[in-house]
Amino acid sequence: MAEKRINLNTPVVESREQRLGTIIAWDGKASDLSKESAYARGGCGGQQDGNGCRLCEARGAFTQGSVCSEQMVECQAGNVRDAVLIQHSPIGCGAGQVIYNSIYRNGLAMRNLPVESIRIICTNLQESDMVFGGVEKLRQSVQDAKERYDPKAIFISTSCATGIIGDDIDSVAAEYEEAYNIPVIPLHCEGFRSKHWSTGFDATQHGILRQIVKKNPTKQEDLVNVINLWGSDVFTPMLKELNLRVNYVIDLASVADLEQLSEAAATVGFCYTLSSYMAAALEQEFGVPEIKAPQPYGFAGTDAWIRELARVTHREELAEAYIAREHAKVKPRIEELRTQLKGIKGYVATGSAYAHGLIAVLRELGVEVNGSLVFHHDPIYDSGDPRQDSLAHLIDNYGDVPAFSVSNRQQYQFYGLLQRVNPDFILIRHNGLAPLASRLGIPAAPLGDEHIAIGYEGIVNLGEAILDVLAHKKFHQDLAAHVKLPYKKWWLEQEDPFILSKEPDVVNA
Amino acid sequence: MSNSINQIRYVCAIGAMYTASAIPRVIPITHCGPGCSDKQYTNLAFYNGFQGGGYGGGAVPPSVNASEQEVVFGGNERLKELIEASLKIMKADLFVVLTGCIADLVGDDVGAVVGEFQERGVPIVFAETGGFKGNNFTGHELVTKAIIDQYVGDYDGPKEEKTVNVWSLLPYQNTFWRGDLAEIKRVLEGIGLKVNILFGNTSKGVEEWKEIPKAAFNLVLSPWLGLQTAEHLERKYDQPYLHIPVIPIGAKETGAFLRKVAAFAGLNASKVEKFIEQEEETYYHYLEDFSDFYAEYWWGLPAKFAVIGDSAYNLALTKFLVNQLGLIPGKQIITENPPEEYREAIREQYRNIAEDVKADVEFEEDGYTVGQKLRQTNFGHKPPIIFGTTWERDIAKELKGAIVEVGFPASYEVVISRAYVGYRGALTLLEKIYTTTISASA
Repeated sequence: MAEKRINLNTPVVESREQRLGTIIAWDGKASDLSKESAYARGGCGGQQDGNGCRLCEARGAFTQGSVCSEQMVECQAGNVRDAVLIQHSPIGCGAGQVIYNSIYRNGLAMRNLPVESIRIICTNLQESDMVFGGVEKLRQSVQDAKERYDPKAIFISTSCATGIIGDDIDSVAAEYEEAYNIPVIPLHCEGFRSKHWSTGFDATQHGILRQIVKKNPTKQEDLVNVINLWGSDVFTPMLKELNLRVNYVIDLASVADLEQLSEAAATVGFCYTLSSYMAAALEQEFGVPEIKAPQPYGFAGTDAWIRELARVTHREELAEAYIAREHAKVKPRIEELRTQLKGIKGYVATGSAYAHGLIAVLRELGVEVNGSLVFHHDPIYDSGDPRQDSLAHLIDNYGDVPAFSVSNRQQYQFYGLLQRVNPDFILIRHNGLAPLASRLGIPAAPLGDEHIAIGYEGIVNLGEAILDVLAHKKFHQDLAAHVKLPYKKWWLEQEDPFILSKEPDVVNA
Repeated sequence: MSNSINQIRYVCAIGAMYTASAIPRVIPITHCGPGCSDKQYTNLAFYNGFQGGGYGGGAVPPSVNASEQEVVFGGNERLKELIEASLKIMKADLFVVLTGCIADLVGDDVGAVVGEFQERGVPIVFAETGGFKGNNFTGHELVTKAIIDQYVGDYDGPKEEKTVNVWSLLPYQNTFWRGDLAEIKRVLEGIGLKVNILFGNTSKGVEEWKEIPKAAFNLVLSPWLGLQTAEHLERKYDQPYLHIPVIPIGAKETGAFLRKVAAFAGLNASKVEKFIEQEEETYYHYLEDFSDFYAEYWWGLPAKFAVIGDSAYNLALTKFLVNQLGLIPGKQIITENPPEEYREAIREQYRNIAEDVKADVEFEEDGYTVGQKLRQTNFGHKPPIIFGTTWERDIAKELKGAIVEVGFPASYEVVISRAYVGYRGALTLLEKIYTTTISASA
């Protein structure tokens, strides 16, 4: 048996940079990044040390506010329907309750589930707790969670403050797990512990794997885990064609949905950045196969993805019929869209693996993509399987991306990146970059529903969304003529947005 | 009493980075973990009326994004490097450095780091706003004081008559602060004052802040926020202050407010009365038109109301709803955790809502408990109208009542320049209340 890549024995998840060699700053051609990081083509040459390759990182002195792991814990553990998340933190971390409540409510509505407010409790630590410790307040909040909501599971997230003062949340969790006979799960996600927030996804998944997932599963041969966020339900109709049922996790799932993760016939996702850890661990620990294929974007990706899913679940014939039917169905509209989008230039600024998929779809639509920004880059995913190399899949099937940048939501760099390629629109996730594009006259399509571009229908959906957003150009260009940017001329005239990492002294010049 | 807070209604002291960015062309620099700045943006400035980050907020503020390195070895060097780079890249009239939990716990000497830049003549100040030190109301007065002490500086020149500094709503926390401050400024100018409004689109930015010491007096227009600042200014610049706890909504309250301010400032009464008369003429024309609806809308309108929110709006709305519309107070809950020393004075205000109306008020920060209190309230024979936040949407549904989101967080409101205070704001508020009420009827 292969060496275990994922270690579920300790309560603290290994960070992305430890496991995968994740970087948050890089600039160049996509093909170079692929070459430098790929385990299958040069670089480490298939070296399986579990650390991926070490990539050079283009970090400099200037940084703007980013995002932390704890936020990703809120948006996952906090969105489990019959659980409660306790934020063991001062009240500021609790600010996130607002955004994730809004997203949770809208997500529930989109899935036709009863709309309700999110259930997150903050322990509201004060200055005296920093001196004497906050464990008693944590106990109180665990008791409140139980009394208020009688949840099926309680998650406890840490914060920078509790990490530094060293509160022992593991012991409190263990104590109440025994007392209440429900999973009480510590999630270690201090913001300062990882340079990239996606470690927060892994922290949540780590806790669920350790304490919620059934250890002695009864296999359900038609159940497929779909690791996603709040997206609309596009997987049910797709998988129905193969006589498969969907188990959506983690957002909007129930604790029972999480328990049966180990019973599924396969695991898929919409983005390897999000699903990497959970999917690999389910395979390693419970033999649930992770679908090792390109992500389901564009014809090539979706074909390969469906075929692999069908192979693993023994439904090959159904798959071929479905693929043929869908191709025929969407092709006429895609042809029209290609005509309508001829000569249009797009830019993608999203999470890492998701961007690889979106660029593929844009190119199916005939949209020119000369540049893209991803918030981080994982040289390898947890499976270590080359069939999941989403960046290589993009380059091999759809060609190179000349201006491919890794920039951890750094708005000051985004300005120069857009100047390089001058796109007509951008596709975006996460707040903060679209407002700058807007002030430059460029409309953005914020992909709140992350499933919009999935599969064959997704190609059409994204094309329609682009037509809608191109019409917005009127608004943004009008605005651009009337606003001033908060950046100095010196910076706006810099041709290289990564100059500070290459010539640090330029700051003192 | 439990420490737990469900459904938060304020953020931590570093939320005052939005006090800084509420001043035109001021940019905050945050010395904290990677997520703190984004949390304040997405929650305070985005999913709260979608106010927007403006010039110096959103994804703009430089941030240390502290890692293990800064936790273990301290962040002084990293902060210094970040400020240096910020000066090169960012265009701001003033930078405000705010610390988070990490810097305050590991004991970084931020004063020394920022001090070096101040000695070089760089317009930069700092405030220690670690999340465990208090909420964004506390942070607001820390930042305000930092700018006054470290940037505006000493002054012993002459005062300008008829000039006032206004300390009122907490920017961004109050979803409607931009429009409201503009209306407050408008009516104060209407009676002949020169107004340093200090925050928002009608402020002149740091130039206006430089004028603070010259003003004849400070106006604290809120139940308690701003009092510490006013007391500080009284000591520092020998400036008297006028404290008016009720932010005026509607003609009656606004007229009374303006007369009080005018008396304190020693303004010419006839000019003041003339402005009030003009405003009332316009206001009551509109109110007369509205009265057809209010008098004979067939299908009934809510009679009892609840207000859940910050003391400033809670008190202002309660006064207006009782005195202008004749609604009946059902439940008033103040959620921003005002310092204990101010609470009795606030309670006293509620005992005198009108000559014939007094209301009870409660202080509660935890949303779960707020929900329980609303559930236990007897609103009588028909459903109430709830003035609250997004957190009250479910309970409003449960009670079959209407919900008007008036405070943080208001995730289902889009707010640009809308005001609810003064003369003009009151009419907008009436439109909002009754559009909400009747659009739910069929």
